Amino acid sequence: MIRLWPKSLVGQLLLIVALMLLLAQGVNSFLLYRGAQSQNLVEASTSAVSRIAFGQDRQASDRPMRRGAMPAQRWGRLKYSANSAVTEDMQRLPELEMRAGQAFANMGIVFSDIRVTFTRNLTTDMTGHLIGTNRRAWRDNPINRSMGDKRAPPETRGFVIISAQQADGQWISIASVVRERTPLLVRTLLFQTITIYLLMLIPLILLGRYISRPLKSLTAKAHGFQPGETEDLAEQGPPDMRELIRAFNVMSSRVSSMIKEKDVMLGAIGHDLRTPLAALRVRVENVEDDVERERMVAGIEDIDHTLDDILSLARLGRSREQSDPVDIRSLIETIVDEFTDLGHEVHYQRGDKQSALIRETLVRRALRNLIGNAILYGKAADISVEKSGNKLMINVDDDGPGIPEEKIEAMFEPFLRGEASRNRATGGSGLGLTLARAIARDHGGDIILTNREQGGLRATLVLPTG
Amino acid sequence: MTHKIHILLVDDEASLRQPLAEYLIKQGYKVQQASDASVARSLLNAYDFDIILLDIMMPGEDGLSLCRFVTDKTDIPVIFISARTEETERIIGLELGADDYVTKPFSPRELVARIKVVLRRAEKSGTKQISTSGAAYQFSGWTLKCDKRSLIDADGLNISLSTGEYQMLLALVSRAGKVLNRDQLLDITQGREAHAFDRAVDNQISRLRRKIESDPKNPEIIKTVWGGGYVLAGEVKSL
Repeated sequence: MIRLWPKSLVGQLLLIVALMLLLAQGVNSFLLYRGAQSQNLVEASTSAVSRIAFGQDRQASDRPMRRGAMPAQRWGRLKYSANSAVTEDMQRLPELEMRAGQAFANMGIVFSDIRVTFTRNLTTDMTGHLIGTNRRAWRDNPINRSMGDKRAPPETRGFVIISAQQADGQWISIASVVRERTPLLVRTLLFQTITIYLLMLIPLILLGRYISRPLKSLTAKAHGFQPGETEDLAEQGPPDMRELIRAFNVMSSRVSSMIKEKDVMLGAIGHDLRTPLAALRVRVENVEDDVERERMVAGIEDIDHTLDDILSLARLGRSREQSDPVDIRSLIETIVDEFTDLGHEVHYQRGDKQSALIRETLVRRALRNLIGNAILYGKAADISVEKSGNKLMINVDDDGPGIPEEKIEAMFEPFLRGEASRNRATGGSGLGLTLARAIARDHGGDIILTNREQGGLRATLVLPTG
Repeated sequence: MTHKIHILLVDDEASLRQPLAEYLIKQGYKVQQASDASVARSLLNAYDFDIILLDIMMPGEDGLSLCRFVTDKTDIPVIFISARTEETERIIGLELGADDYVTKPFSPRELVARIKVVLRRAEKSGTKQISTSGAAYQFSGWTLKCDKRSLIDADGLNISLSTGEYQMLLALVSRAGKVLNRDQLLDITQGREAHAFDRAVDNQISRLRRKIESDPKNPEIIKTVWGGGYVLAGEVKSL
């Protein structure tokens, strides 16, 4: 059921309308069915009333009944008895009793009591006193014929029993067949429903298309939004949809101009800070004291790295570098070699060829940051690669103190470092993990930090395989 | 060297240009300063320079355009000095025929070292380094693309190389069949990267072999010549 539920606006609209129509038609047909039922009941009881009235009439007149004129099988014999055929345990139908009383009164016949009931199974004492059993009679009925109804007479649904008490206390009873007329009804309703469906749903589908087409193109545009895009989405569809598209166009151009402003500003910061930094770096060479000079140089390099991280983070997602399938082994080796050249202990055992579609410069940077952290907080880094499904996991393990579980997520926040002291001498801008995660996510992957069972931290760079 | 090496320093930022010029003069060079490309052009007409240090981002005509002019008209080697660090621009700069590239802030000592390497290389070969612009080589199932500095294996997979490894491989591939000794290899590849000085050629070669040889212990592609150096075996197709 849930799987069949349509996801699109038009689909849902259509389904709801169809369901509501079906419900309305259901209620409608139920009412019609009930109407037909009582109609059949009234017809049957009318015949019974006529039969009783006829019997009374004949009883009153002196003319003897001519044999054959009223065949018993057609009319049934009236039952005369001391007790009513409608016993106390049967459910009486007051509405029909009232109608019958009215009919008798109109014909000038007076009964002291009239009882009417409906039953599905006729008791044996009434089987001889039944009218309406002749099916040909139903077909020959002038009303049915005039309606052009040539079908076989419908099945018997049950019987109406009318019992009337004469002034002398004797009861006259007769049963009458109630016919089932519903098959015709069901077919008519089905036809009606289909007609309504066609008339309603076709324009609804067209209307839905009219609304959903601009909605679809708007969705596609929003998904593929690239800042700096100048082409506006054409306004189409109903007026409120046009208004939405207009608002979207204005918003996207505003976003584009803000991002452009940001880029210009970043470029200016990059240039305007690096140039004086470079001048400072040159002047530092004039410092005679070697120790002092080295410290100054380290300070300048630190500022430069922080600047670099900030700019990279801000520029991420707008990189002009394109993605290539890269052998991850060679990428890890390149970074590991950088660290071993600087005298750090980094282990990596070359495994099977693993490909990932990445922007190499960025992923190198992310991995470099992870290994840098491992060396900063532990003594050595151990790198291993795992493949699981379409994900490639590069694990960087260290033998450091790890991170308390509750602080792990906070590690990704910019400018936050594991140690309490924010001493620059320990290195790192505090953007390393932030940048690494941003890079990983930009590739559709992530960075996951877990404490290892044997102590130390495992940083996992997850990348989709290429 | 009987005459002082003559440097043209082009940078619009006086705050950097002046201390750098002072530093270079202290190191024994003769330095002319230009604050923009037009001043640089007139100085180029007036003097003979041995090397040009060129800032990329300048108001008016930028460093890339001036570099194109210099490499087209003269043999003077160019070293870019730029605040930009994006990898693509590094490549653009080298594509245009600049001999080296330093990013701000740089160590002045390192700059001097690079100037020396570039000058020695220019002196030795008479011409500048082999132009690699847009070139690609195919050897033993590998493709080396110079425009993107990428090495691609038979399956189309990129192999990550450090700058030093790339330079080393390019030197071997572009001179395939020719034995290059360690000094020659150092000469060709040095200067591009700060740490290249400290790194032994043999170390680079063994790292390269690990990445491209199917059995690094019995190399088929980069072969060792006893007493001589290294040579790239097999056929190389230049694309």
